[in-house]
Amino acid sequence: MKKLFTARHLKMRAGGAKCAVALARGFGARLIVLSVIMVGLIPISWPGYSQRDPNARCLLECHANPGFKREVAPGQFRALFVDYEQFKASVHGEKLCVDCHTDVTVIPHQRRPEQIHCLQCHYQGNVVGAPVSERPEKYKESVHGKAFERGDPNAPDCKNCHTVHSVRAHTDPLSPVYRVNIPKTCASCHVEIYTDYLEGVHGQALRNNVLESAVCSDCHREHDLFPPDDPRSSLHPQNVANTCARCHTDVSIMERRGVPVKQVEAFKKSFHGIAIEFGILKSAHCISCHEYHKILSSRDPRSPIHPLNLAQTCGQCHPNASSNVARGRFHIIPSDPDAGIVFWVYEFYRWLIIVMTSFFVLYIVLDLYGRWRHARRRPHG
Amino acid sequence: MPSEQVEELSAERTIERINLPLRVQHFALLVSVTLLIVTGLALLYWDSAFGRLLIALEGGFEARGTLHRIAAGLLIATTLYHLLYILFSRQGHEEFMQMLLRVQDFRDYGAALLYDLGLRAEKPQLDRYSYREKFQYWAFALFIVVMIGSGFVLWFHNWFFGLLPKWAFDVALAVHGGTGTLILIVLTLWHLYIVHLSPGRFPIDWSFWDGKISESQLQEEHPLEYKRLKEKGLL
Repeated sequence: MKKLFTARHLKMRAGGAKCAVALARGFGARLIVLSVIMVGLIPISWPGYSQRDPNARCLLECHANPGFKREVAPGQFRALFVDYEQFKASVHGEKLCVDCHTDVTVIPHQRRPEQIHCLQCHYQGNVVGAPVSERPEKYKESVHGKAFERGDPNAPDCKNCHTVHSVRAHTDPLSPVYRVNIPKTCASCHVEIYTDYLEGVHGQALRNNVLESAVCSDCHREHDLFPPDDPRSSLHPQNVANTCARCHTDVSIMERRGVPVKQVEAFKKSFHGIAIEFGILKSAHCISCHEYHKILSSRDPRSPIHPLNLAQTCGQCHPNASSNVARGRFHIIPSDPDAGIVFWVYEFYRWLIIVMTSFFVLYIVLDLYGRWRHARRRPHG
Repeated sequence: MPSEQVEELSAERTIERINLPLRVQHFALLVSVTLLIVTGLALLYWDSAFGRLLIALEGGFEARGTLHRIAAGLLIATTLYHLLYILFSRQGHEEFMQMLLRVQDFRDYGAALLYDLGLRAEKPQLDRYSYREKFQYWAFALFIVVMIGSGFVLWFHNWFFGLLPKWAFDVALAVHGGTGTLILIVLTLWHLYIVHLSPGRFPIDWSFWDGKISESQLQEEHPLEYKRLKEKGLL
C-alpha cells in the first residue's frame, strides 16, 4: 500500500511538471510554473483539500489552480479550474473525479476527456447508489431536451441549471435550483422574462422575501416543461387554472397575502371555465386577462384587470366591450353571498323552486285524495 | 242524471275541441321546449355524469349550444305566430278572450280544493278554459317572456356589452338557469300530471295530437262548455 502510494506520488510529480509546462505555453507565466513544481515537491496542502485526498492528484497538479485554462481557439480560453471547496460541499463531495470522468485512466490525462453526462450514473438500476427519478426522462421530452436533441447550441441540459461541479440539493439555499434562486437561474438565458417577472406581483413578493411566492418552476414545472399548445404542458389552456390553483386555492398562503381564494373555483364554474373544460380552447382562462410574467394587481393602473383597462382586456375577444364590463363583480359563485345581487337572484330561485315543488307535490296528493274519495262514494260501473 | 245508455254513447263519441292552428302551436312549443330543456340541463349540470352524458349525446359542447339556439329560434317563431294568431285571427282572438283571468277562476280553484277535501258537496262548474288551463297558460307566457329576455342577453352578449353592466349578464345567467329549472318542475309535476299522468289519462292522452275529447270527459271536466255546445246543437 505504501509502495503504491510512493509510485503514484512520483508519477504525480512528473505529471505536475508536464501540466505546468502546458500552462506556461498558454500563459507565459514562469512564476506559476515554478510554484506548481514547488507545490508538487513540498508536501503542503492547497486550500480546501489535503494531500491524502483521493482527488488530490487532479487538483494538486492542475485543476486547483484558479488560472488553469486551455486555449480552445486563438485568443479564446476555456477555464479548467475546479473550485474544490464548492465540490466538497456538493452532493457529489464524496465522489472521485474519475467516478464521472471515467475515460481518464492515466493522470495527467493525455487527451481531452470526453464530455460526461449525468445519466452515466443516474439511470434506473445503477450500482453506485445515484438517486434516480423520472426527471431525466421528463427532461428529454421537454422543450429544452428537444432543443438539445436538435443540436441547438443554446439549449440547456442538466448542468446549465444544476451546475457542473457544485451540484447541491434543491433544498440547499446555495443551490441554483433552490426555490428563491430559480428565477435568477432561468434568467441566465431568459433575461427579458426575468425583468418582466420581477415587475409582477410574484417577483415583487419574492424580492420582499415572501418565499412562498410563485417562481418559474411553480407554473412551468422543472423538467417536464412543454410548450403551451402541448396538452401535457402545465400551461396548456385546459391546465392553466389547475396550475394557478396549486397556490391560489391554498387558504393558508392566500390568507397570509390577503388574496381571495375562490377565484379558481369561480372561474371553473363560469362559462369560460366550462367551455375550456369541454375543449373550447379559444375561451378565456386565467392568463388571457391577468397576463403571465408581469402579473399586476387590479389596483395597479398598468394592470390589464385595472377597471380602466378592462374594456380593452375584454375587448380582445368581445369587440363591443365598453367600460360597462367594469360595473360588476368578477369571479363570483352564485351560491356565495359575495356574489351580491346574483346571490339574491340565486336565493330567490332556490326558494321559489323549493316552494313550487312542495306546492305541486301537495297538489298531486290532494288531487289523488279527492279522486279516491269520490270514486269510493260513487263507484262506477 | 243521464241514463247509462247515454253515458256509454257519449263516451265513444268525440268532438274536436282544440283546432288545428292551436295544435300546431302546441306541438312546436312541445318540440322547442323539450329541446331547450334537454340542452339547457346539459349545461346546468355539466359537472355531473348526467350533464356530461347529455352533452355527449347532443354532439359536444358547441353543438349543444347551437342546438339550444335553434330550439330557441323555433320557440321565438312559435311565440310570434301565437301573437299574430290571437291578434289578427278571429278564431284565435276568441280563444284568447276566453283565456283571460277572471275573479271566478280563483273562486273555482278554491271550490275545487274544498271539493277534493270533502268540504264542499258540489264540483265547481268549469268552462272551456278553467283555472287549470288559464294558470298554466299565463305561467308559461311569463316563463317565455323571462326566458326569451334573459336568453337574448346571453345569446347576443357581444352586442349587449355596449349596453348593460357586467352584473346584468350574471343576473341574466342566474335568471335563465333558475327559470329553466322552474319550468321543468312546472312541466313535469303540474302540466304532465294533469294532462297525461293523472288517473284516467295515464299513460297518455292523445288530444294534444288530434284535439279530440270524448263527450263524457267534456261533460265531466268542462260542464259549461258542454252545456253551451249542447244548446247550440253541436253535439
